[in-house]
Amino acid sequence: MKPFLHLNAQTVAQAVKSLVKFEGRARLNAGGTDLFGLLKDEFLPEYPEAIINLKSVAGLNYLKQSKGILRIGALAKLCDIAESPLIKERYGALAEAAHAVASPQLRNVATIGGNLCQDVRCCYYRYPRHLGGPISCARKGNGPCLAVRGDNRNHAIMEGRKCFAVCPSDTAVALAAFDARLVVVGPAGERRIAVRDFYHPLGNALERDEIVKEIEVPALAGRARQSFLKFTLRRPIDFAVVSVAALIVVENGVCCEARIALGAVAPGVIRATAAEEYLKGRAIDVESAAQAGELALAGARPLPKNAYKLEIVKTLVKRGVLGLPLETAGEGDAGGPCPHGNPERG
Amino acid sequence: MAATNKGKTAKPAKVVAFSVNGKAVELQIGSEPHQVESSHTLAHTLRETLGLVGTKITCDNGACGSCTVLIDGKAILSCMTLTVECQGKSVMTIEGLADPVSGRLDPLQQSFIDHTAFQCGFCTPGMIMSAKALLGENAAPTEDEVKEALSGNFCRCISHYHVVKAVLAAAPGGSE
Repeated sequence: MKPFLHLNAQTVAQAVKSLVKFEGRARLNAGGTDLFGLLKDEFLPEYPEAIINLKSVAGLNYLKQSKGILRIGALAKLCDIAESPLIKERYGALAEAAHAVASPQLRNVATIGGNLCQDVRCCYYRYPRHLGGPISCARKGNGPCLAVRGDNRNHAIMEGRKCFAVCPSDTAVALAAFDARLVVVGPAGERRIAVRDFYHPLGNALERDEIVKEIEVPALAGRARQSFLKFTLRRPIDFAVVSVAALIVVENGVCCEARIALGAVAPGVIRATAAEEYLKGRAIDVESAAQAGELALAGARPLPKNAYKLEIVKTLVKRGVLGLPLETAGEGDAGGPCPHGNPERG
Repeated sequence: MAATNKGKTAKPAKVVAFSVNGKAVELQIGSEPHQVESSHTLAHTLRETLGLVGTKITCDNGACGSCTVLIDGKAILSCMTLTVECQGKSVMTIEGLADPVSGRLDPLQQSFIDHTAFQCGFCTPGMIMSAKALLGENAAPTEDEVKEALSGNFCRCISHYHVVKAVLAAAPGGSE
C-alpha cells in the first residue's frame, strides 16, 4: 500500500474533526477489511492522504437492549453479533446475517458499521490499478456504467440508475427488515437514517464528514419467525448473489405482520412491500409463500445477463416466508416434500 | 493509548509496541528504512521486518487465509491488519507453536505431519493457526465445527479432507 498518515481517534468527535480537517482526503478505518481493498487496488482516482483509525475510540462496540430498542455500537464486531445470546434469541435474522459474512478471520475484525458502509463490489468499479485501472464509470462520476452492456451478472435487477452495482452488505438486509435506523454523527450534530433509505445508486446517505455511531433496532411486536437466507456461488468468503431476510408474525393461524427485505438485487436494500401486504391476514402456506415470491419482484427490470436472479429471489422469499433452510429440495412443487406435513406422504 | 486530546483532531503515533510469540517488539513508525511505515500490513512486517517468514502472503486481499495469525487468541488475517494498529496486542505466528526450548512441535503440527495434511504446504501455516484458534476456544470440536472454523482457509491442492482429520485428531477432547 502507498503511504498515508495514520491517525488514532480517541473519540467520535475527534474523528469528525479530523474528517473536516482533511476535507474529503481522509478515510475512516474500523475493521479495515473493505478499506484495504481500496488502498491495495487503488481503484479510485484519488488515494487518501490520511487514515483515521476508529478502533482507538473506546466503548463503541456495545450491544445493549433498553426500552425495547436494541442498540449496537458501530464498532461491534460481526463475530460478537453472530454469537451474542441476546441477538440470537430476539434478532435471529441479524445474527444469521452477521454469521453469513466472509470468513471467521474477517468476522473477527469486521465491524457492523463497516459492513453497512462498505463500498460496492462491481468488477468495473473495483478494477485494480496494477491491472491497468482505474476504470472510469458513473459511480466515479466520469463515464457511463460499463456493466449495462458488459458483465452484469452480479448487478441490480431493480432500481438501478446511472450505477447498477448492488449493496453488498448482508447485515443491512436483516436490519432493513427490522426497520433499523443508523445514528449518524457529523459536524452539524446527530441525525438518524433508516437503513432502507441509506443506500443510493451512486453511494450512501452519509455526508462527507459523517460517521455512523450506532444502529438502533426496534423490537418487533410479537414473536416473529425470522429467517435470513443468502445465496452465494461458494459458501464462505463470498458476497450474496441474492439474500432475503423475512420476519413473519403469525397469530391464530394467520399472518399479522410480514417483513421481507431483499439484498444484492438493487443499489439499496429492497423491502418487498407488495408481498408484505399480500401476506397480512392470510395463512402462511406453500401457495401464499410462492405468491409472495412473485410479488417481491414488483418493479424488477433485469439487465441482459442477470435475469437468473429473478428465480433465486422467488425461491428465497418463498423459503424465507415458510421458514425453510436455504438448501431445501422443491418444497411443495411437483410433489416434493411439504414442510407442513403432506398427509398423503406422511 | 496515551494522549487524550478531547476536541482536538487525532494524532499519529511514533512507536508501536506489541508482542510476537511472547517476545516484546517495539518498532518506530516512519518512512526511514529501519522504520515501519504506517501503511505496512502485519503480514509484511512479520516477514520483511521481523524475518518470520512462516506466515505466507498469497492473495494479499483477505480472501484466502494463508496469512492467518492469532491476535489475542483470535484468528485474523495479517494481510488485512495494519502493523501500527497492533499496539499492545499479543501476536502468535506459526513460529510460536513449537516449544522454544525442546523444539517439540505443537500437537497440531505433529498431527498435520502424521495425517499428511498438505501437498505444497503453502496454505498450511494459515490452516494450523485457524485450527489453533479453534482448539483454544473449543477443545472438543465436532467435524462441522472444524469445517466452520477453517472455512476461511483455501487450499488449492485440496488438502482439506486430511486437514479436518488432522485437526480432529489433535483435539484433546476429540474423537479420532
